Amino acid sequence: MVIPSSVDPGFLPRAGLDRLLDLLTADGRRVIGPTISQGAVVYDEIHRAADLPSGWTADQAPGSYRLRSTGTDRQFDYAVGPTSWKHETFPPRVPLTIGRRVNGQVTFEDAVPVAPLVAFLGVRGCEIAALLTQDTVLARGPAVDRDYAARRAAALVIAVECVTPADTCFCTSMGTGPEVTAGFDLAMTELDDGFVVRAGSPAGERLLERLELSPADEARTSAARSAVAAARELMGDPVPTGGLPARLSAAAESPRWAEIAERCLACANCTLVCPTCFCTSVTQVSDLDGLEATAERTWDSCFTLGFSRVAGGNFRPRVQDRYRQWLTHKFATWWDQFGSSGCVGCGRCITWCPVGIDVRAELLAVAPPPTELSDATTQIIGVPGPERIEAVPGPTTPALLTAMTPLSDAVESPTYSRAFVAERRRETVDTVTIRFDTDDPDLLAGRPGQFVMAALPAFSAAPISVSRFHPDGLELTIRAAGAATRAMCGLRRGDSLGLRGPMGRGWPVDAAEGHDVVIVTGGIGLAPLRPLVDALFAERTRFREISLLYGARSPSDRLYVEELSELAARPDLDVGQIVDRAGPDWFGRVGVVTSLFDQRHLDGSKAVAFVCGPERMMTATVDVLRDRGVTDDRIFVTLERHMECGVGLCGHCQLGKAFVCRDGPVFSLAEMGPAFGREGL
Amino acid sequence: MTGAVRAMIASRPRLGIMKFASCDGCQLTILDLEDQLLDLLTRFDLVEFAEASSYRSSGPFDVVLVEGSVSTPEQAEEIVRIRRETPLLVTIGACATAGGIQALRNWADHDAYRAAVYAHPEYVESLATSTPISDHVAVDGELRGCPIDPGQLLELLTALTVGRRPQLPDESVCLECKRRGTVCVLVTGSGPCLGPVTHTGCGALCPAYARGCYGCFGPREGANGASLATWFKRDGRTDADTARLFAGFTAYAPPFRSVIDSLGGPPIASDQGEDA
Repeated sequence: MVIPSSVDPGFLPRAGLDRLLDLLTADGRRVIGPTISQGAVVYDEIHRAADLPSGWTADQAPGSYRLRSTGTDRQFDYAVGPTSWKHETFPPRVPLTIGRRVNGQVTFEDAVPVAPLVAFLGVRGCEIAALLTQDTVLARGPAVDRDYAARRAAALVIAVECVTPADTCFCTSMGTGPEVTAGFDLAMTELDDGFVVRAGSPAGERLLERLELSPADEARTSAARSAVAAARELMGDPVPTGGLPARLSAAAESPRWAEIAERCLACANCTLVCPTCFCTSVTQVSDLDGLEATAERTWDSCFTLGFSRVAGGNFRPRVQDRYRQWLTHKFATWWDQFGSSGCVGCGRCITWCPVGIDVRAELLAVAPPPTELSDATTQIIGVPGPERIEAVPGPTTPALLTAMTPLSDAVESPTYSRAFVAERRRETVDTVTIRFDTDDPDLLAGRPGQFVMAALPAFSAAPISVSRFHPDGLELTIRAAGAATRAMCGLRRGDSLGLRGPMGRGWPVDAAEGHDVVIVTGGIGLAPLRPLVDALFAERTRFREISLLYGARSPSDRLYVEELSELAARPDLDVGQIVDRAGPDWFGRVGVVTSLFDQRHLDGSKAVAFVCGPERMMTATVDVLRDRGVTDDRIFVTLERHMECGVGLCGHCQLGKAFVCRDGPVFSLAEMGPAFGREGL
Repeated sequence: MTGAVRAMIASRPRLGIMKFASCDGCQLTILDLEDQLLDLLTRFDLVEFAEASSYRSSGPFDVVLVEGSVSTPEQAEEIVRIRRETPLLVTIGACATAGGIQALRNWADHDAYRAAVYAHPEYVESLATSTPISDHVAVDGELRGCPIDPGQLLELLTALTVGRRPQLPDESVCLECKRRGTVCVLVTGSGPCLGPVTHTGCGALCPAYARGCYGCFGPREGANGASLATWFKRDGRTDADTARLFAGFTAYAPPFRSVIDSLGGPPIASDQGEDA
């Protein structure tokens, strides 16, 4: 949408640029703009117009960038370089919380965002699209990255339309440029003797008025339009985007992924130069004692092995898994998550790939367009500007259900509150259940299947399912799988830790109303199902037969052993237990959990199933359930993924179109579609 | 983590810093932690430190940091003994983790070298190869680099005192270049760079001074050296030049070694390259 301005476009002679810089400085703004440094046009602080890359352009090709002198005094004759504005709006390292721990008691303090006024000079169309894209991801909820929101609000955007695209540019295909139509305060188009300047916001109008420019005459405005149109012509339409999300989804098992992986270095350069990539990890910066630690949000990438690591495994061990994740996220599942493409066509990932992998070529190879252009494709060709984005066909699979239990009005990411150890019970050799007292109303309002992020200062936070809710607290069943969970298992009565939550979408208890309920679980997977059992018994008459089928490696690996015995004695619950390896005192069944179905009648048409356990156990269980006629919309699973933020901001837990932390961890199989059980997602 | 390690969190662990075949640069990095040294001594009982004192302890140790590669028969026996007596053994530096620059002899004629260098080679007892500590005994952790990075060393010691896993990512150097705003020297043509296949930890030092990474931290997780070497060739570099690039301080680390071997071995004596 073009915002009409009440102030007419003006003409700023080249010599007047310093006046613009002076006005911005007088407003207390630091000006960030293009300058020559390290052999490239980078964005850095600009003090005078002389700092701009006057007379420079760059030749760009896959894996290659070379500055070249143009012999003119034009200042914006380059295409985008290695830096993007996210260095300013979403810096590589930002403090999130400061945690302290003294005598077993923790405190957490949110870092206060520091966002001094700034002006971005020289923002291109593709880059405005990138800013708007990150706005949607980081500042439009359900959770908001406070630091990003503050920095974005402090930034004035002065666009300069691109008239010199590089060979790597494809904004025309992505519908983001070269024209600048919205999302700016001022927009300038460079001519040989100066700039045509127009306003795009009230702040821009005020600035334009203060510049006191003479109106831009028709010759100049027309020359400006022609220059941009020529840039569009030069780029053409190198990436056929019609139906691209569907084409990519269909190519999930393409042999091309393995072929790309032979060339791909998984070095992460593409993701860090990308102006929309937002994946981060939390690093702990602590003193030697670990008594005080600052948790920092740090740029990360889906290309590192560590990014998808969980205790005891990794969901994307192969480079082909990581490349597929990146490409399909950018061009397909981003639509499902945020309603737009994640790619703006700036071409940075092509130029700055050290081995010149060209995303345009890979898209054509992995997901070739149909030989005849579909209606949708023909429709969008030649339509300029952002309208084009809306015309690109979006997702073809239904969007995931919206969160059933959204974060508490979620205007900001929730902060840690303190919870105190009231009771501690050992379950197995490496697992304890701890009851915490808390007066945090959000935590107490949690639902079965939801989880919390639990944190001790200096340790990374861990996602832990709530294994029981109490009126004045909650229970967590914690397995000592890493250093953080080991430290939590060692907490003593009266000690405290930080809890954030409840997170995610829990078990849909109501979906089981009037149905038989089958709960199938293995090992520690019983923990997130325990509150579900509590909820079912709280309103027992709403449900028909209830079965709880529980498998464990050995009898001593079972959780809640006494409770299980009590439950087994109830007439209104069928409990089946089985172990892989029997012990001396085990008189029950031996085998895998699915063999518990053998002696049970299950009318699939009347049953709803809830499943939690290792992924292999879940796929085997789902096979049996489907065999017995339970349809995918009545099979619910809960998934494990690497989680750091718990609110869909850090990117770690992406699985196809879902953020497991925010959209799950509970999903119906119908929602997941082919993503369930697929290797490397 | 073993029970012994957990116990040391509460106490003041006995720390030994030992040296094998090495230049002592990593130990100097420890001595260079001037602002933190006294603090460290309140948390660790520094029982032995080869570079700082000629005193040799008979142990026992809770933690041993080992610098240097195994280059002599004596060292091969010594490291087995130390491992047997040490609950937590961490190797530090390119020599200890990859064999070091001296591992270039692994491609050469050991006897001929020995005869060329020493007047009386019969007095020199050395092995034909220089190998990382992990080729001889199991190690519990490693700090890469030539020399090690002081920040990573502090992170390791901090994690030990707190009882958490040290944050020592196995990703490429590139992430750190991007975080600190360094423009890619490979793409701008400022020189060949091993950053994309090299283990992070140095803070992306060399590219910040407009020269390529020479891989002193050794190969990162999943290093795809073959693809990078293919790109260098397309870019006009000779196989010998590329082999020389990989044949640095961590040449003998398997992912780099296989690239070197595929390019005909390290061009050690043939000519003097700018990046050797």
